[in-house]
Amino acid sequence: MSSRSRSSRGAISEEEINELISKLQSLLPNARRRGSSQASTTKLLKETCSYIKSLHREVDDLSDRLSDLMSTMDHNSPGAEIIRSILRS
Amino acid sequence: MASTSSSTAVDERERKRKRTSGGESPAAGAEAQPSKWQTRREHEIYSSKLFEALRLVRAGSPASSTTTPARSRLVREAADRALAVAARGRSRWSRAILASRRRRLQAAHRARLRAPTVPPSRHPSAAGTSAAPGKASKTPALARKAKVLGRLVPGCHKLPFPALLSEASDYIAALEMQVRAMTALAEVLSSVSSSASASASGSSSSSPPPA
Repeated sequence: MSSRSRSSRGAISEEEINELISKLQSLLPNARRRGSSQASTTKLLKETCSYIKSLHREVDDLSDRLSDLMSTMDHNSPGAEIIRSILRS
Repeated sequence: MASTSSSTAVDERERKRKRTSGGESPAAGAEAQPSKWQTRREHEIYSSKLFEALRLVRAGSPASSTTTPARSRLVREAADRALAVAARGRSRWSRAILASRRRRLQAAHRARLRAPTVPPSRHPSAAGTSAAPGKASKTPALARKAKVLGRLVPGCHKLPFPALLSEASDYIAALEMQVRAMTALAEVLSSVSSSASASASGSSSSSPPPA
């Protein structure tokens, strides 16, 4: 079972890789500012890594905040109903 | 009022259909689309899953017993799990998040039942190609960055380059939605708790009840 059987069309084309790279680049926050599509792949990967790390940090901060808020939520069952209805709307 | 809500629902469906390329809602086996993380519907689904997961965390660990860092770790894990479930198994990182948790629970369970043995080995990845066949001249710098990226996205440390890129795109879009949903939930909770404490202290509430 060769590992290359994954791409049945043969080697993965450079073009597909470039397409994936540009899709990734469009997701990064810098995409609008830069305007050029000539960022080197290395730089792009570096930005992707730092962006994912900053997103992880944000999620961690939000988890801290939510866990603090949760303890105040304890005595507040009507609040839970309100929250559910807000989430539904 | 009923007409506006139904038209909004139709609107959302149209928006979702326009966003997902290919017209039809993604069928089983279709690739994960990063754009689906931007629909309002996904946001709602994730928010309710997140809220339910948080309630379970709160019920499982009364405030006095768990320390704050431990609780926020539980919250983070619950949020990641909810995110992985929202992906509906169509991306490798989501399957890895759910699988790793199951493995840890099984290992802990087995350790409780009998003497600790060798932990279950990971399923051997037959491919093991870390260098992509496509990019012929992969400089070491690029390979290093790719490895770092593979470590950041769960379950993707052995993927070939193109698959790694597509998983990373989906993961980034999902993380952004996670941040949006958690921020919104935090805002709601803080406003609810602050208004609750205000009314509890007997002061008049800011918003008068609708006449």
